[in-house]
Amino acid sequence: MFRLQGNKVLAVDMTGDAVKAKNGSMVAYDGRMAFKKLTGGGEGLRGMVTRRLTGEQMTVMEVKGHGTCWFADRASEINLVSLRGDRLFVESSNLLAADAGLRTGTTFTGLRGASQGNGLFTTTVEGHGQAAITSDGPAVVLRVAPEYPLIVDPGAYIAHQGNVRQSFQSGVTFRTFLGEGGGEAFQIRFEGDGLVYVQPSERNTIAGDL
Amino acid sequence: MSGYGGAGPVVHDPTTLPADDNVTKYTFCVELKGSPWFLQKGKMIAYYGAIEFNGVGHGRLDRLVRTSFHSPLHASDWVVAEGSGRMLLADRAFDVNSYDLDDGNLTIRSGNLLAFQPSLALKQSIVPGFLTLIGTGKFVAASNGPVVFLEPPIRVDPQALVGWADCPSPCHHYDHGYLTGVMGGLRAMTGLGGASGEEHQFEFVGAGTVLLQSSETLMPEQDTGVVPAEPGVPGRTGTPAGHGAQAGAPRLPGQLGDLQRRFGL
Repeated sequence: MFRLQGNKVLAVDMTGDAVKAKNGSMVAYDGRMAFKKLTGGGEGLRGMVTRRLTGEQMTVMEVKGHGTCWFADRASEINLVSLRGDRLFVESSNLLAADAGLRTGTTFTGLRGASQGNGLFTTTVEGHGQAAITSDGPAVVLRVAPEYPLIVDPGAYIAHQGNVRQSFQSGVTFRTFLGEGGGEAFQIRFEGDGLVYVQPSERNTIAGDL
Repeated sequence: MSGYGGAGPVVHDPTTLPADDNVTKYTFCVELKGSPWFLQKGKMIAYYGAIEFNGVGHGRLDRLVRTSFHSPLHASDWVVAEGSGRMLLADRAFDVNSYDLDDGNLTIRSGNLLAFQPSLALKQSIVPGFLTLIGTGKFVAASNGPVVFLEPPIRVDPQALVGWADCPSPCHHYDHGYLTGVMGGLRAMTGLGGASGEEHQFEFVGAGTVLLQSSETLMPEQDTGVVPAEPGVPGRTGTPAGHGAQAGAPRLPGQLGDLQRRFGL
């Protein structure tokens, strides 16, 4: 069971079950724990090849045992996500830990990925269980519903879950080339039904200065 | 999932987002209803509704710019958000807060100002690297750690200074022993012999308020544009001299304690 201890440390209580966590993110544990590196993210040979090819690499370890294990990653804020059969899309660098029962994989994100500077692929987590994602500053969770779509800056986007369609929206006009752009040249538009996680900070994106 | 009840994260939607208030310490929500807002480029992280972002140089906004944006030299760093909806602002996970000015004035480090209502007029301060807001309205500013409000007379660390309101006399202050004599000069230039790092401060006297952040991390400087090269206009000191570093530390942007300026070169 996942719980937060403060905002920046994740505590996982385990009774013989296992979690997948980012390699090297363990900061402390009590009880008996075994740490095993999962080659290729624990997704089998096919997943391993996919990750290698797509550049969405993730070094994951499997932690198994009895007791409590604490995880943290460069003092970044940790957000808990609970999945009930739906799918979470998250950048591999932002995924800290997930229940071992959750399936992870890679999907193509298209232009959105390119605009974020994170590559064209993203990690998916699906099934029933909990996952922990990291963000620079506490994430704000925004609901997307059919009556109110949400537009997000690619640099601040970290994850989304649910049945959400995303499209890429560009505000590039001739003014951008005159140096009079609106400063928000690339945006991701989310429509449908789900949640979007946004961090109060922007990564450097190729479009950051447009 | 077992044992995972209602303690999940707070989920916001357009009806639960606050209007013109903080969502978290690091995120501010602006409600746009007809009246536009000026914001620094790239500080919008998400929005609901129909909002349009236009560069300040946009022709249609010319009137607005004429009445409330008096800094043509750094117009390219600012955009105007117009439309209706709720917009989230944040900046590198720094603390953000809104402040109300009531027929007042406030001078702020250029990198710390995120957004302001057009009922305020934005002007370039005579002090290089700072901007002055004059009028009535709301603005949003970022700081590293919470902002502390202090009353002059006070001396503050240059890196902790966020801005000031109503104070007529922001000036430099140097500890006497640090600057006098050959040894003092040598120490200042080379850092040899030790320096506490606090030999130089900003001093404020008179009636007003000084805003400090609770750390010495500076926001990256936003270009405020160059000032006209006229006699009597500060901020144009010619080519920077190579020996400007203070006591070992590299010179930080916005720090005004250069030797060249100290010696009037």
